[in-house]
Amino acid sequence: MFTNKGYYMNSINLAKANYIKELLSRDLREDSRALMDFRDISINTNILKNAEGSAQVDLGGTRVLCGVKLQPEDTMKDTPDQGNLVVSAELLPLASNEYDYGPPSPDAIELARVVDRGIRAGQCIDLKDLFIEEGKAWTAFVDLYILNFDGNLFDASYMAAMSALSSAWVPKYENDAAVMEERIKKLKVDNIVTATTFAKIGQKIVLDPDANEEAVASTRLTIAVDKEFIRAMQKGLSGSFTQKEIQDAVDIAFEKHAMLKDYISAQSNK
Amino acid sequence: MANMLNKPELLRDDGKRLDGRDLDELRPLSIKANVLKNAAGSAYTEWGNNKVLAAVYGPKEVVPRHFLDPERAVIKCRYAMAPFSSLSDHGRSGPNRRAIEISKVTKEVFDNVVMLEEFPETAIEISIEILQSDGGTRAAGITTAAVALANAGIPMKDLVYSVSAGKIKDKIILDLDMLEDNYSDADMPVAVSPRTGNILLLQMDGELTRQELNLGLDTILEAGKQISKIQRQALIDVYE
Amino acid sequence: MPFVVLHLRHKIIKYKGLIFRVCYYKITTCKDFMNTILIPGDLIETDVARNRNYYFTDGNNSYCTSMCILNNGRLVPLEGLWYPNEGETVVGVVKEVKNSIVEVDLSHFLRAIIIKSPRDRIAFRIGDIIEASVKQVEDKKTIILIFPRLLKSGQLLQVKAVKVPRIIGKNNTMVGQISSFTKSNIIIGYNGLIYIKGGDMALAVSAILKVAAEAHKPGLTESVKKFLERELEVTEK
Repeated sequence: MFTNKGYYMNSINLAKANYIKELLSRDLREDSRALMDFRDISINTNILKNAEGSAQVDLGGTRVLCGVKLQPEDTMKDTPDQGNLVVSAELLPLASNEYDYGPPSPDAIELARVVDRGIRAGQCIDLKDLFIEEGKAWTAFVDLYILNFDGNLFDASYMAAMSALSSAWVPKYENDAAVMEERIKKLKVDNIVTATTFAKIGQKIVLDPDANEEAVASTRLTIAVDKEFIRAMQKGLSGSFTQKEIQDAVDIAFEKHAMLKDYISAQSNK
Repeated sequence: MANMLNKPELLRDDGKRLDGRDLDELRPLSIKANVLKNAAGSAYTEWGNNKVLAAVYGPKEVVPRHFLDPERAVIKCRYAMAPFSSLSDHGRSGPNRRAIEISKVTKEVFDNVVMLEEFPETAIEISIEILQSDGGTRAAGITTAAVALANAGIPMKDLVYSVSAGKIKDKIILDLDMLEDNYSDADMPVAVSPRTGNILLLQMDGELTRQELNLGLDTILEAGKQISKIQRQALIDVYE
Repeated sequence: MPFVVLHLRHKIIKYKGLIFRVCYYKITTCKDFMNTILIPGDLIETDVARNRNYYFTDGNNSYCTSMCILNNGRLVPLEGLWYPNEGETVVGVVKEVKNSIVEVDLSHFLRAIIIKSPRDRIAFRIGDIIEASVKQVEDKKTIILIFPRLLKSGQLLQVKAVKVPRIIGKNNTMVGQISSFTKSNIIIGYNGLIYIKGGDMALAVSAILKVAAEAHKPGLTESVKKFLERELEVTEK
C-alpha cells in the first residue's frame, strides 16, 4: 500500500493508522495531547564548534540539527551589494527506516525550499548586511540535518534554522581572505519566523502531527508567520482544506508564534 | 596533502605534541549508545573535536534486489561528512569519492565480524554521519558504528575499534588530529578485532620503515585496550 | 554495590551402578551488578547455560555475540532479534492476501505466511491485526503460521523481542498482573508486537514499557506491582 507521501507504508503502520482514526473520532490522540497542542520542544544552540552557528531541535521524537556556515563568495551581477542565503535539507538514512541512500528526495527539497521562503520573505537576515567589500559578500549556508523522523519536519526545521542563525557569528575578513578561526560579530537577525503545521485526518484537524498521524493524514498545511504577517504557506499531500479551516489554522499559527519565538530567543541569547 | 612549504613544527620543545599530548596519548574519547529513537541501534562519539553519529537499521529487505545474497546478509554502509563539519569550507552535500572509499572499507571491516549467515537475503544498514571533523574521522566512525551494531543486537563475533597511528620525523604518534594528519610524515588508520588481535582495516600513506610499522601497530594495540573499555562502558550505561 | 549470587546446581554422580543426584549451591560474588553484562566477543564461562542464538564457538571457547547478562548461571540476551520457535504466539498485521496464502507482517526480517485451508472462515483484509502460532520455519527464510485469529480495534504496541519473555513472566505472572490491574486484554507476540484492548490501555502501555526498559533488573514483578498500585491510586483520586 502506498501513502500519498509516495513511499511504501508498512502494514503495521496501517494497523496503527486505523487506531489513530478511531481515537480522533473521540478527539483523542495517541500521546494524549489536545488536538491543537505541540509536543515537547527542546532547543540547544552552539553545539558544533566548526560551524559558525548551530542548533539542535527536538520536537517530540523528531530531531533536527542545523548548521550555518558562512563563506566569502563573489557577489552576483544583479545584486552587487548583497550576500546570499542557501538553505538545504537532508533526510539522513539514520533518521528513519524509510529513508534511503541516494540523491535528495523531493521531500527534502520541498522542506528546504519552504524554510528558505519563510526566512527570505520574513527578511530575517538583511542580505545587504552580508556584504564585505566590492565584489565580495558572505554566503550563508543553512543545512538542515534530519537525525530522527517522527513527523512534522517543517516546524522543527524552522525552529532549528532560526535558532542556528540567531546564534551564528561572522568571521573576520582580512587581506582578501576569511579568517575562519576568528569570529568578530554576531550575525544580525532582524525577524523571527515560526511555522505551525496542521494535518487533516478524516474530518479532524490536528496540530504538529507525529509520524503515525502524518502517515494517515489526507493533507497537510504549513503556515509560517511572524508577529504581523503570514510569511510562507505550503499545502502538502493530495487532500483539500476549506476556506474556513484555513482561516482557523492561520489564527492558531499566530497564537502559537509568541510561544515558539520565546523558545528560540531564550536559547539564542544564552 | 597540504602545502608542505608552510609546514608547521608539530612537536614542542618538551617533546610533547602541539595540543600537549604525549606521543602515544589518545585524545579525550566519550561514547554514548542508544541516542536515536527510530534506529535499531545508535551511538554518538566525541573524540577530541570530532563529533560522530552512527545508526544501524535492519536486517531489512534488500533494495535494489540485485544486491541480494541468498546465503547471507549484505551490509550497506554510508559514511558522510556534514557540509558544516569542517572549519574552513562549506562542503558539498552527498558522498564524494573520498566518502565512497571510506564507506567501502568500513563495510569490509564489519563483514568480518557480523554473523551475516544468520540472515540470508537481508540487508543491514550502517550509517555514519560526521557532524564535526578534526582528523581521524574514519577511525571514529568505525569505533562508533561497532557500538551502534552491538546496541542494535546484531550478532557479532567481536566489538571492533579503530584508531590511527602516524609519524613525525622519527617519532611514532597515536591518534592524529587534523593538523597532524595534514603535515605528518605518515598516517595509518587501523581497525582491530580485540579478541583475536586481527587487523581488519589497514590504510597508510607517507613513509614508514618496517620497524616503524611494527611500532605503530603495537602502539595501536596498546591504546585499543582503552578504546575497548570506553566502548564497553557506553554499552553497559544503556542499562543503568 | 557488591552482592552475592547463589546458583542452585544439580550434579549427577554414578557410583557402583547407582545414580545419585546431588544438589549444591554455587556462590558467585559480583563486585558490581553491572559487571555481569557481557558484550560481543566476551568469553563465556564453560558452565553457563546458554541460548543457542547468542554465542559462537571458536576452538574450545565460546564467546558472546550480543549484549547479554549472566542471570543465575544463564545467558540472557539484552539486545537481539527474535529467532522463531515452534509453538510461539505471534501478533502481526495482514500485509497481502492471495488465493492460497496470506502474508503477515511480523515486523521481522523473515517473511511470515498463513496457508489458507478451505475450512478457514476468516476473511482477511489488509491491515487486520491477527494472532497466530508458529508452525515451522522453512529454510531460515519463511515462517509458517497456523491457528490465526482476528483481533479487532485495539492498540498495537511494539517492544524489542528480547524483552518479551520478561513481559510475559514466569507462568504468565507479569502479564497476568498487568492485565488484572488495568482490566485490559493483552496478547503478547514473541515477535515483539503486543495487542492491547479495553480497560486502562494507557496504564497497560506504560507498565509494559516499564518492564521492557527494566527487563534486566531483579525484583521487577514487585516494582511493577507498586507502580500499578500507585498509578491506579492517582487516577482514583
